[in-house]
Amino acid sequence: MTTKETPKACPAEEQPSVCTAPPASADPAASAPKTSRRDFLKAGGMLSMSTLMGTAALMTQSDDAHAAAEWAEHFQKNYRLMTDAEKAEARARLERRYSQEYGKQVTVDTTGPQPGVLMGYALNIRKCIGCRRCVHACVAENNQSRGTKPGEKIEWIQVLRMERGKFEQGKMDHGYPEGLGIQVGGNAYTPAGQVLEGQYHYTPEAVPEQDATYMPIACMQCEKPPCVKVCPVRTTYREADGPVVIDYNWCIGCRMCMGACPYWARRINLTSPVLPKEEMNPVTHYLGNRPRMRGVVEKCHWCLQRTRHGRYPACVEVCPVGARKFGNLLDPESEVSKILERKNVFRLKAELNTFPKFFYFYD
Amino acid sequence: MKKLAIYTLAAALLGSTLYAVSAAEKAAEPAQAAAPAEAAKEPPVCFESRKGASEVTQKEVKPGLPNVKCSPTTGAALWYGDPYDGTVPMGKMPGLEKLPAGHAVVKPRSEKLALMPMCGTACHNGVGPNANPPTLPKDKRAKPNPTMEAMVPDLANLQHGRGRIWCMDCHHTTKRNMLVDHFGDPISFDQPQLLCGKCHGDKLRDWRDGIHGKRIGEFTSTGKKRWFTCTECHNPHNVQDGARNRGFAQLQPEPPPQLPKGMKDAKHEKLHPIPH
Ligand code: SF4
Ligand code: SF4
Repeated sequence: MTTKETPKACPAEEQPSVCTAPPASADPAASAPKTSRRDFLKAGGMLSMSTLMGTAALMTQSDDAHAAAEWAEHFQKNYRLMTDAEKAEARARLERRYSQEYGKQVTVDTTGPQPGVLMGYALNIRKCIGCRRCVHACVAENNQSRGTKPGEKIEWIQVLRMERGKFEQGKMDHGYPEGLGIQVGGNAYTPAGQVLEGQYHYTPEAVPEQDATYMPIACMQCEKPPCVKVCPVRTTYREADGPVVIDYNWCIGCRMCMGACPYWARRINLTSPVLPKEEMNPVTHYLGNRPRMRGVVEKCHWCLQRTRHGRYPACVEVCPVGARKFGNLLDPESEVSKILERKNVFRLKAELNTFPKFFYFYD
Repeated sequence: MKKLAIYTLAAALLGSTLYAVSAAEKAAEPAQAAAPAEAAKEPPVCFESRKGASEVTQKEVKPGLPNVKCSPTTGAALWYGDPYDGTVPMGKMPGLEKLPAGHAVVKPRSEKLALMPMCGTACHNGVGPNANPPTLPKDKRAKPNPTMEAMVPDLANLQHGRGRIWCMDCHHTTKRNMLVDHFGDPISFDQPQLLCGKCHGDKLRDWRDGIHGKRIGEFTSTGKKRWFTCTECHNPHNVQDGARNRGFAQLQPEPPPQLPKGMKDAKHEKLHPIPH
């Protein structure tokens, strides 16, 4: 029974399929130089899963960091199930690959949730002037695709412009259809108050405009996120400190989550992302802004690569009017806790019971 | 044959001359090239909250990591690599005793005000023509004064306090490079919150607690932050910004998102399902 307890090591000359040894424990340094990558690929095509994994283990040792990482990624576990050692391995592999690909020292952070932190966000909608700086700061920080062809430009934040309607004396008796004096709905004829059909593509010379209000929307990091409920492969989930994240490697691009999200916060990479080398942000997080692949869904994650180290998210820092606020909900002294205590706060689509951790307020 | 030889010789001679010339040029090149390259590579300066207030000059904090990224469209600061660039400790602020020392920093505004060093010396040197301290108009209306009006166009019709305050409610009478508090004591231009809080106490409280105004750096309540003071966002001389009356100057917005596939313009956004 000794064979069962200690699986025999795989001699380099032998066909990999014969060996029972788990590939991770095989000594790739000994076997790699004797067999070409082509042979291994051939073998991998014909043989069993364990062979493939053996091949992957060998591929990770190859000089081409990109190929090695791709191979290894095909066989890695869901991020939540990885041990610390596996996370470290995945991190080193990705750092090597991205550094080679983007020509600079790229770091892939794997820092987990910090104890005693539950992130919360607040936005003063009376202050927002609709300048869209937050949108572009987010793109600069989070390595979104920024091509010009359809589907190549991805932005996580959207700023909605809403017209302001008016109640007017002269329109008291107006109705619809005009001239018949029949009233349908209100009698002011012009929709009054906030006109909810918003515009995303407004381009005035200068903002804020006199007759408009602005409403930025991004991921609300719900406490009961519909996207998490529907994901068939369980690759999107809520982290202990609040943000809803995606393990990009396990996303199958089915877009169930996009259909489920009531806030239109998720974006899919329909094309291969366009990310120029010089614009790439080298400070990344595994669950955050590391470069994505084609066919996966991505979303706002409150700049995990920053916030896990205490920094404000990028959108908070650039907002010229200070409308955006971020803090720890468990700390009564934090900005967001103070806002919840003192200001008039509402959550978007509260009736859906998603319990966002993103609060709109006004004063 | 002879002809060929002559041509070759000529070519060789020409070649060597050319070589010599180009070598001389090459030697001169680095010195020449350095100057225009430096002039062309003038680091971009981006404005932070509004045009006319704080600016930040782009530079590298680490290889490949700029302290700030400017928007190619508007020139606004779009991303901070180093949020504390060019800041100094804020100084004492009542109600912030719990903050660790040096964790509240501000960008000194006085450096930006080019004329300020002259205010207290060249014109308002504390010695008026008639008296010391100088005489002030009894009706508290600013006298027409071309120099001041060049700097503050709305001087006679100040859009702050709806006509109920005048210059000396904020500026120190004899120390013109200072602001003034309720006791007549001078306040630095780098701490305008002490002045603004005289009237806007609720806003000062919210600002101190971080729920009004902007700050960058670390989000934890005791983290190191750069605080943006009142005048970085609001123009105190025209705080209402005309008819809009919202306290902020108008800005050029950043470009809109990509249009949906197959759409040429955004007219579809203006179509309401119910005509009105
Ligand atoms: S697109 Fe990806 S994240 Fe979204 S539901 Fe499908 S697998 Fe899950
Ligand atoms: S940067 Fe601030 S003011 Fe500008 S659109 Fe975003 S939230 Fe609104």
